Amino acid sequence: MVCIRRATVDDLLAMQACNLMCLPENYQMKYYLYHILSWPQLLYVAEDYNGRIVGYVLAKMEEESNECHGHITSLAVLRTHRKLGLATKLMTAAQAAMEQVYEAEYVSLHVRRSNRAAFNLYTETLGYQIHDVEAKYYADGEDAYDMRKHLKGKQSHHHGHGHHHHHGGGCCSGDAKVVETAHAADAKATVSK
Amino acid sequence: MGASLPPKEANLFKLIVKSYETKQYKKGLKAADAILKKFPDHGETLSMKGLTLNCMDRKTEAYELVRLGVKNDIKSHVCWHVLGLLYRSDREYREAIKCYRNALRIDPDNLEILRDLSLLQAQMRDLSGFVETRQQLLTLKPNHRMNWIGFAVSQHLNANASKAVEILEAYEGTLEDDYPPENELIEHTEMILYKVSLLEESGSFDKALEELHKKEPKIVDKLSYKEQEVSLLSKVGRLEEANKLYRILLSMNPDNYRYYEGLQKCLELYSKSGQYSSDQIEKLNALYQSLSEQYTRSSAVKRIPLDFLQDENFKEAVANYIKPLLTKGVPSLFSDLSSLYDHPRKPEILEQLVVEMEHSIKNTGSYPGSDVKEPPSTLLWTLFFLAQHYDRRGQYDVALFKIDEAIAHTPTVIDLYSVKSRIMKHAGDLTAAAALADEARGMDLADRYINSECVKRMLQADQVPLAEKTAVLFTKEGDQLNNLHDMQCMWYDLASGDSYFRQGDLGRALKKFLAVEKHYADISEDQFDFHSYCLRKMTLRSYVDMLKFQDRLHSFPYFHKAATRAIRCYLKLHDAPKTTAEEDGMSKLAPAQKKKIKKQKKAEARAKKEAESKSEESTATGASKSGKRNVKPVDPDPHGQKLIQVEDPMAEASKYLRLLQKHSPNSLDTHLLSFEVNMRKQKFLLAFQAVKQLLKLDAENPDSHRSLVKFFLKTGSTSAPTTEAEKLRWSVLEAERPSISQLQSKSLMEANKEFLDRHEDSLVHRAAYAEMLYVLDPSKKTEAIKIIEDSTNKVVQTNGALGPAREWKLKDCIAVHNLLDTVLLDSEAASRWKSRCAEYFPCSTHFEGKLSSVMPDSVYNSSRKSNENGDTPNHPLGQTGLSDGQVEAFKSLSVST
Repeated sequence: MVCIRRATVDDLLAMQACNLMCLPENYQMKYYLYHILSWPQLLYVAEDYNGRIVGYVLAKMEEESNECHGHITSLAVLRTHRKLGLATKLMTAAQAAMEQVYEAEYVSLHVRRSNRAAFNLYTETLGYQIHDVEAKYYADGEDAYDMRKHLKGKQSHHHGHGHHHHHGGGCCSGDAKVVETAHAADAKATVSK
Repeated sequence: MGASLPPKEANLFKLIVKSYETKQYKKGLKAADAILKKFPDHGETLSMKGLTLNCMDRKTEAYELVRLGVKNDIKSHVCWHVLGLLYRSDREYREAIKCYRNALRIDPDNLEILRDLSLLQAQMRDLSGFVETRQQLLTLKPNHRMNWIGFAVSQHLNANASKAVEILEAYEGTLEDDYPPENELIEHTEMILYKVSLLEESGSFDKALEELHKKEPKIVDKLSYKEQEVSLLSKVGRLEEANKLYRILLSMNPDNYRYYEGLQKCLELYSKSGQYSSDQIEKLNALYQSLSEQYTRSSAVKRIPLDFLQDENFKEAVANYIKPLLTKGVPSLFSDLSSLYDHPRKPEILEQLVVEMEHSIKNTGSYPGSDVKEPPSTLLWTLFFLAQHYDRRGQYDVALFKIDEAIAHTPTVIDLYSVKSRIMKHAGDLTAAAALADEARGMDLADRYINSECVKRMLQADQVPLAEKTAVLFTKEGDQLNNLHDMQCMWYDLASGDSYFRQGDLGRALKKFLAVEKHYADISEDQFDFHSYCLRKMTLRSYVDMLKFQDRLHSFPYFHKAATRAIRCYLKLHDAPKTTAEEDGMSKLAPAQKKKIKKQKKAEARAKKEAESKSEESTATGASKSGKRNVKPVDPDPHGQKLIQVEDPMAEASKYLRLLQKHSPNSLDTHLLSFEVNMRKQKFLLAFQAVKQLLKLDAENPDSHRSLVKFFLKTGSTSAPTTEAEKLRWSVLEAERPSISQLQSKSLMEANKEFLDRHEDSLVHRAAYAEMLYVLDPSKKTEAIKIIEDSTNKVVQTNGALGPAREWKLKDCIAVHNLLDTVLLDSEAASRWKSRCAEYFPCSTHFEGKLSSVMPDSVYNSSRKSNENGDTPNHPLGQTGLSDGQVEAFKSLSVST
């Protein structure tokens, strides 16, 4: 029914269109470019049988804390394509990439307090837990749940070394300039929430 | 830098530079003023002050100071560099490159300037210059990884992938064996995978594979590794191994259709057209049988066979596919199967099958031949499917009947109203469609998707103010429409532009279409920061993909749509030039007086412009003083009134036309518009090129035919050539005409008749014939109208009680109506056509069909429930103007011969 695959740059316009159809939190194209040019492994799309993008997940790695962790920036599935388990498949794929490529300790996301459907998906199907509540996170004044899921089965890249460590910074070393502009986009996006 | 200054001032100069880099502009400004107090002519200080002011949005001052700086110290690379930076900040890259080059002439090895230059060269795709600069950077600083990578990428972009490989290999030669350290695993992975992709691109598949295998332990992105490996294995013909690997990939993700395609290719069971021999079908069937046993949870293994299976096998497979999905209530089932409707027999099979299910469930509560009781929702989703099926078949009455049955069954399912809205749209009642979408929206106000869908329908029904109010519900900042614009919401720009166009508001329409163009310009601009970022991040495969994407950006659908529509606006502006009272008055004046008035006007305009730029300046300074940057500038032309005052609409149209010709050369629209524009510009050879392209793309298309006839009618009727240019044109056309097969030793009349003979059964072709008959010989008007009226709307299929499906499409019938009304100018024939079509399309508001919302006892007006939970006011129905079919207004543009 629907193909789940890594996104390419050519998918970004359709991802942006999908986002604008479904969600109140929107981003300029540069922010999508920033994601795919930083963590190309963490963007997945759901493409229907007619080649149309009907869902996507946009994810990133965070550098702020000591623990290298992933963050789901945005997840959307067109209303017409629900009940196919697409959100679960997209999330699972992005989480697996965070774990395997970046050795992420955990993955975080924000969800509106009122969004029961999403909340249930995250808690019941995907195993996320509430880590914190961020008051008035969204521009309309709604609170967000800050949710986290610990990623298990973390493997070391250097199988032969016998000790378990992760390469902090590897996923996160960024370029000040673009990160800054992108953060500006992020800030803007956050404001628009 | 800051040379020739005494130590105290030299330190201050350093402070300016530092403040600039750390964005402490006020501090920098203070330091600059302190130097200038003592050395008012110091060029580099003037330049740096200007650069600082530029960041504070004081553009005019900035340019004055920086230019003065260059003038005072023309030998300073700093001054030139700064001027370059100023131009760069205004996206004037060509000017910026010139300045950098001047700076480098003075200081050839300046790394910073070289780097800045290289970024601009990448941005402007000056690829040979890019290679040169990157080589110089590498020579100057070979101990920087980025310089190696940059040089390799530049060679790659300049079409020298194998040279790029050599550079990467030389770089790898400088690395220790235990490279990379822990914190660079990902960067290193990306570099290896980039190198492998370069080898693949240069055709060295074996080498690529060897490299990939050799570096396997250092590649942390295992999925990319496997996908790259399987692609290479297939290319070198190691199909057995590729086959195995595809199966591994499928076990990781059985929902990736590309793996199935790859697997089929390995087994030599793949055809792009989807045509297979019966032997192949058997093998494919066996393959998917075994795959479905392995990947029981994958829907792909069940869906793909529906494409190749035929007749009885298809029927059985599709029944097994559909049943569980109807039971589960998957709303996208119909859309999932919609590609099967292009097949000659499959739609009938589907109809028969689902109708049987409907009956069986209604009678026994189970699917045919089953004892298992279905939940009540199965009937709902079966009806839902059938409604979409009949909609697709053009049997809107049956479709409405089914969807109403579904709504009566369970009135709370939102999707039903969305589908009903779509059926009404197809049936020709956009007002009802919008109202239904609004009803759906009211059922879940927190869902943006149904809000967006409703906004779209409202715009289609030309209810722009209501659509705006509705859209704003999800754009929470005060200025929410602007938010749609800021977030590059292109479908909205296009849909509202279309509506303005239909309503004849060309200013607002152009404004919207050009907004889309602006989004594309911004996206193109977005790449700038990534030229350096990606070299550091090492995401080189994505980076190169991004550059290629940017090069093709204008071929993406939104741009194509916006550009074609903008050109249509300009065509309309050209055809109906503004005749203001003022101009009328002008024509009566003597030439000398006219000149005087024009001069006066120019002066006024200049003064106005100056005043505007001053006020702009003052708001800008005000903003920077209050510490608030990024204050949105007020749009000086919110309704596009200036846009429609354009001097030469065809020159504007040509700008967009060139982009279409470059990026959408295979679109019929591109060449139709080129024809229209160039005929108006009297550029007959270019118009002829367009005609040839149209014939090449689709000679039998009615519009291609129209263009051909109109072109030769126009060029044949102009009097004998007098000027050299005309003679040249004449001879070119004389030489080319025999190469047009439609015209070989035939008159236009004869060619037109042959066109009719080839397409006697098709309404749109008959209409094109009739129109051209009239254009060629206006005395044949009656004959032309008869040809149209003698057309028959054949029954495509009958299915008993459900009524026939007919051939004609609503939009074609509306186009014919407009042709009768506005080109053939026969209102009686138009009115006869209208009542005839009102029978075929009873829901059409254009034809005032008896069931349409313009009629008092329409389906819509009698069945509509009041919608009380919506935020936006209910709009009075039937009071909004007729709007469907006005899309055709686009097509009515034609060359006046």
